[in-house]
Amino acid sequence: MEIDTASHDKVTAVSVKGRVDSTTAEKLRDHLTAVIKSGSARLVIDLKEVTYISSAGFRTLLITARSVEAAKGKLALCGVAGEVKRLFDIASFTELFTILPNRDDAVAAANA
Amino acid sequence: MKRPADLIYGVDEKPPLPVTLFNGVQHVGIIAINLIYPLVIFRLAGASVATVIELLSISLIVLGIGTFLQSVRRSPAGSGFMCPSTFTATYFSASLLAIKAGGLPLLFGMTTFAGLLEVVVSRTLSRLRAFLPTELSGLVVFMIGITAGIGGIRLMVGPDAPNVSAGEWRVACLTLATMIVLNVWGKGTLKMLCALVGLIIGYAAAATVGLFDQAHTSSLAAAPWIELPTLKHATWSFDLTLAATFAIASLAAAMKAAGTITMCQRLNDAEWLRPEPRSVTRGVMGDGLITALSGLAGSVGTNTATPSVGVAAATGIASRHVAYAVGAIFILLGLLPKVAALLAIMPRAVMAAGLLFSACFILINGLQVMTSRLLDIRRTLIIGIAIIAGVAVDVFPAIAANAPGVLAPLVASSLAFATVTALGLNLLFRIGVKKTVTLKVERDSIGGVNISDFLRENGAKWGARPEIISRASFAANQLVETVADNGWHTGTLTLEASFDEFNLDLHALYAGTPLAFPDKRPTDEEIMESDEGMARLAGYMLRHNADRIRAESKGAHAHIWFHFDH
Repeated sequence: MEIDTASHDKVTAVSVKGRVDSTTAEKLRDHLTAVIKSGSARLVIDLKEVTYISSAGFRTLLITARSVEAAKGKLALCGVAGEVKRLFDIASFTELFTILPNRDDAVAAANA
Repeated sequence: MKRPADLIYGVDEKPPLPVTLFNGVQHVGIIAINLIYPLVIFRLAGASVATVIELLSISLIVLGIGTFLQSVRRSPAGSGFMCPSTFTATYFSASLLAIKAGGLPLLFGMTTFAGLLEVVVSRTLSRLRAFLPTELSGLVVFMIGITAGIGGIRLMVGPDAPNVSAGEWRVACLTLATMIVLNVWGKGTLKMLCALVGLIIGYAAAATVGLFDQAHTSSLAAAPWIELPTLKHATWSFDLTLAATFAIASLAAAMKAAGTITMCQRLNDAEWLRPEPRSVTRGVMGDGLITALSGLAGSVGTNTATPSVGVAAATGIASRHVAYAVGAIFILLGLLPKVAALLAIMPRAVMAAGLLFSACFILINGLQVMTSRLLDIRRTLIIGIAIIAGVAVDVFPAIAANAPGVLAPLVASSLAFATVTALGLNLLFRIGVKKTVTLKVERDSIGGVNISDFLRENGAKWGARPEIISRASFAANQLVETVADNGWHTGTLTLEASFDEFNLDLHALYAGTPLAFPDKRPTDEEIMESDEGMARLAGYMLRHNADRIRAESKGAHAHIWFHFDH
């Protein structure tokens, strides 16, 4: 799994590439926690290049959402499509997160 | 069965009469373009205008009867859905060979044979599925599109075609351009009836540039307004050398009818999961009977009208009462020889444009079906070689001319040769493809094994649907990942994957206890706060990912089975 971070004014966008499973979820969680702790609680997670996400990956997203909420920030997801979107649906996570079709919209939502 | 939200009138519901009639006219307009196939075939058979008028009248009545037969509720030979009949490019090349070899009697005899064969095939369609994988169905549809498109070009610039005048080129271009413009940029009814509007514009343009001569106008004038057509032209003969060609067309018609009836099922049921075999079998049988009736009455092969079902999906009106209106309108038109006369004098420039336009959609539909499966090197070779072989027969007529007697029927048409080549290669390439494969995963090195690649590579060898392989891949990955921390105590996990055309099954065996697959999703707090909550989320997702799931504990081992309908 690869993680890239980019700043869009007040919003930090984290793009994830590859598999988010039990062996990689912790690394992603640590990274996202570090971003929030550094004061960037307006967060976009771009899952466009994620090939697989398991229950461990969903747990990481849930924990991140709670951390953002506690920091009075905003979280938006983008790039949720195809197989990953199907998994969001069967795990009943689609309604739980703010999911936007592309990064610009997600940045705008996190910035609102 | 659950009613889809966007369905306005389901198959058993009765819309108001104006809605029924308007929709009926719309479907007739869409189906009418396919009258081009009997028209071209009768004209190339050298039939006089008067004969063509009578045969087209018969053809219209056959379509009417066929639409009733296919749509009547609890029909013993019909799907029972709003699924009108139409003429089809499927029999086009076979019919051209028949008229060349034995004129109209051979065409009618072989069409009857093909229809009866389809009736037989309808009883065995599901058992033939292993030998007729989806990509082969797509290939057949693709080759039908090629045949229809080349047929249109041949009308204009074929070796036996008279020289094309400048006026004919202009009419052909205007007709095709009208169809394209309305289809690409048009909206609503105009878009749906683009082919019919194109034909009407083509007729008007042909009249303007003088493509209708005295014989045409006098034929139109002489045709009565109302008359019951006779069956005097319906004589039949049979030629064994054409049996293979018509058998392949019949098989293709059966596969296409099965696909159309499946579309009807999906259209009427929001909870549709897989084809319901009874209405498919009855519908394919009805399709065969209608083609047999068509041959007996003096017309060409028919098939279910896929574009018409597409329109039903677009409008949300799938009532069988609309099909009754379609059937009645066709029968009425069959009793109006002036309508048939108007069709019979269609200029070849208009026909060529119509064939070319409809061929594009058939061709792309075939391509989409072919690529809906994972294609490994074997399947790539099957499709590639078969297409080249089929096209070669059209490009090099010497292949058919010099073929030894026994092979001659197989290379008689591009559709037949491509299909036979694909069937043969499909059988050959089954050698060495294991239907059950096994992967060993060591508990200490889970990350070292790529389960997704293993399933994808074997899925491509099997020609499995990509979305089913994705679901199986998630099942295997999520299971291995979860049991590694919850129940898999030691040793090797054996993952076995088995495939046939209908099923993909995974069986996981490991030393330990089975994972739980709860009905109820754990709460967000449970997922976040404990590993057990996360494991329950995994079990919940796995349950909803597979079509069926089973877990058992046998001695010190856990067995887990996932089933996916294919």
